[in-house]
Amino acid sequence: MRGVPLALALTAAGGLVLATLPWLLSDFLLALALSCLMFAALAVSWSMFCGPTNYLSLATSAFFGLGAYVTAWGLESMPYGLTVLVGGLVGAAFAALIGLAVLHLRGAYFAVITFGLTELTLHSVTYIEKTYSNTAGRIISEAPENTVIYWTVLAVTLLAVATAILVRASRLGFALSGIGGDEERAQTLGVNTRRVKVIAFSLSAFFPGALGAAMAVRWTYIEPLSVFNPFIGFQTVLIAMVGGAHTLLGPIVSSVFFSLLTEFLRLRFPYAFLIVLGLLLVVLVLYLPGGLASLFVRRGRQHA
Amino acid sequence: MGFWLELAASGLITGGIYAVVAIGLNLQYGLMRIMNISHGEFLMLGAYLTWLAHTTLKINPIVLLPVVAIALFLLGVVVYRLCFRRIARAAPTVEVIEARSLLVGFGLMFLVQNTVNLIWGADLRGYSFMAEPVDIGGARFMANRLLVFGFAVAASLGLLALLRWTMIGKAVRAMMQSPTGAQLVGVDTGTLHPVVFGAGLALAGVAGGLLSMVYEISPSMGEPYTVTALIVITLGGLGSAIGSLLGGFLLGLVEAFGMHFTNPSLKMVLSYGVLVAVLVARPKGLFAR
Amino acid sequence: MPEALLSARGVSVRFGGLTAVNGVDLDVHPGELVGIIGPNGAGKTTFFHTLSGVLKPTEGRLMVAGDDLTGRAPYVYAAHGVARTFQTPRVFRDMPAGENVRFALEFAGRLRKHKHDAFDDVETILGFLGLTEMAAVPAGALTPARQRLLEIGVALGARPRVLLLDEVAAGLTHTEVDATAQLIRRVRDELGVAVIWIEHAVRVLMNYVERVAVLHQGAKIADGDPRAVAKAPEVIEAYLGEEGAPERIAA
Repeated sequence: MRGVPLALALTAAGGLVLATLPWLLSDFLLALALSCLMFAALAVSWSMFCGPTNYLSLATSAFFGLGAYVTAWGLESMPYGLTVLVGGLVGAAFAALIGLAVLHLRGAYFAVITFGLTELTLHSVTYIEKTYSNTAGRIISEAPENTVIYWTVLAVTLLAVATAILVRASRLGFALSGIGGDEERAQTLGVNTRRVKVIAFSLSAFFPGALGAAMAVRWTYIEPLSVFNPFIGFQTVLIAMVGGAHTLLGPIVSSVFFSLLTEFLRLRFPYAFLIVLGLLLVVLVLYLPGGLASLFVRRGRQHA
Repeated sequence: MGFWLELAASGLITGGIYAVVAIGLNLQYGLMRIMNISHGEFLMLGAYLTWLAHTTLKINPIVLLPVVAIALFLLGVVVYRLCFRRIARAAPTVEVIEARSLLVGFGLMFLVQNTVNLIWGADLRGYSFMAEPVDIGGARFMANRLLVFGFAVAASLGLLALLRWTMIGKAVRAMMQSPTGAQLVGVDTGTLHPVVFGAGLALAGVAGGLLSMVYEISPSMGEPYTVTALIVITLGGLGSAIGSLLGGFLLGLVEAFGMHFTNPSLKMVLSYGVLVAVLVARPKGLFAR
Repeated sequence: MPEALLSARGVSVRFGGLTAVNGVDLDVHPGELVGIIGPNGAGKTTFFHTLSGVLKPTEGRLMVAGDDLTGRAPYVYAAHGVARTFQTPRVFRDMPAGENVRFALEFAGRLRKHKHDAFDDVETILGFLGLTEMAAVPAGALTPARQRLLEIGVALGARPRVLLLDEVAAGLTHTEVDATAQLIRRVRDELGVAVIWIEHAVRVLMNYVERVAVLHQGAKIADGDPRAVAKAPEVIEAYLGEEGAPERIAA
């Protein structure tokens, strides 16, 4: 595919530019950039699977939380970079496991069950921590430098974008589009849809897992309710939908917008922020279900 | 003996509320494929309305219940017209209707919950009403809880009777089985849908009003009821009102006894575990035909 | 007689109390052009669903070129060279027509180890169907008749050994029906693909196939030369009560 090398090159170039930010920005702005990157990676990896297949997954918080706990449990025995990698692998493995069990469901069922699984994971971890470690939360004692955290998150984000580019251009991506168009039809045309879905779902879950592991060190105190917060999942879906889950650029642009919104609104007016978010979600789903990107990309409906 | 009776009773009382909330949500889904995940927020609104009117205007909460019902019915009609009607028209497949209405529901949930948060804050509020104990068969119950139970049972049975024996009820059941067929015989979906939606919300509001008599209220009180309603519907079968009734009581009992025997924090694990297990094994619910 | 390419043995499909397909045997050999007819509700499409793996039969076995594929998923059937169209065209509506065909080539087409000279690329297939100018048009924007043709093209992209066509002529004008029938004939003649063709417009089918099977209430009541079948009393009786039945059968 012709577009791929260019897209990858642009991603790499963007990455290089973003890598210089720790020397150019104040701590506050750097934190903002970090938040942008995180949302971008979450939205892009979510769209990787849910975009073409039209599945609605609310499991992002589960993967993120698991990754965070990998760091919480493992940072004392593993270097930071390794916890991030393991966090990603745990996310992917968990996704494969639940994927095998639930990916045959669709629509609202699938959404509700992924939501239920996330809550189940949250409460299970809470229970395990209380019963076996007698703790409600964990303290992260040796956090790496802010710049290290930034570069790690940047690396994960770049990887997510690159993976998304490659998947879109690959047979896997083609199969996913077919599954989204008409899954049974795709089956009759030779696609092993179960395997394709599990692989893609698992791949997309690597990134929230890695991000959770990477971001965990930003909070000195980790507890299940904060890292398994279902809101993370909602916000990811919202960002991806606002941008347009079928595109690559849409979620990226949208995540920048959202981190700014979050930063300036959430801390000052937490309730107003959530009200605005709720309103936005409703208006969007009703009037622009394809996201902002659908304003730019025409999906031809004329008769021929 | 009295102790077990009390435990069972408290389970049935909670179960009654679960049943009422679940039936409302079930009708909305069965009829319109709307997965209204903000359902619990309207229960919360009913609770706040009752609390507000009682504490500021000193009106008897029981008298307020029909008022709350009407208010939430009207609100439901408005919400349906503004938010959900469009989805049914614009969406290409049923799956998409479900997914989009779910998202709209989440949006409404944020909206409603946080508006209440903004106005009244997150602290618990409450009032006391009919909090005198009553002796029945060696067990003691609070009068207000008995009231709640009575209303819940009456409302559920009333609804079931409505569905089975009245024209409107038959129309609703017909629509759930065959939308086109029902329309061909002249059932007017344009009116039926908002009415059923409003009725669902009215039920939730009344349940909330009842709950406000017994428990303290907070803006986040609605969510657990939505989740439990989902579990009840899954157990009882989407589209089956009787299933919701039985499932609600069953779940109430399971919770009451479960919480007694195991760690309370396991309760949530069990609830969600059951939800997931049933959805995986029988996506149409345990009791569905 | 060469070995059967597609073989159904005692295939039955039951839904609760309803028997949709009742103990049907059918053999289709390489290069055959076979028709399946029958009154409404005879179970023809349901039978197709079992032949393509979309539905598991309640009883019976299905074999493709000697391999027992009973109960396997549809993509396994596709990998063994069974391709089908659906009664209402199921194309990927948001994908351009050319991409639809490419999809089949990329997946089922690649799984097919047997070499298929004629149809290795999108352009040839589209050309065969007269859809070359439509290559970039989203499939959902095509007229229904063109979508039907695209369905056939997509099925061909799967490089089948046997093609299952489900009522491809429904709703077409007489000229269009004849054109479609000739197309089907060409698929068999030029590509050597066996074709099983369900059609409700019986007259046309009878003129083009060499063999016809008749389903009635789920069971096969006749199987043989079209002219002989048309005269068989059980066939006429099955169609009795259907408007224009005698004319329709008497080719």
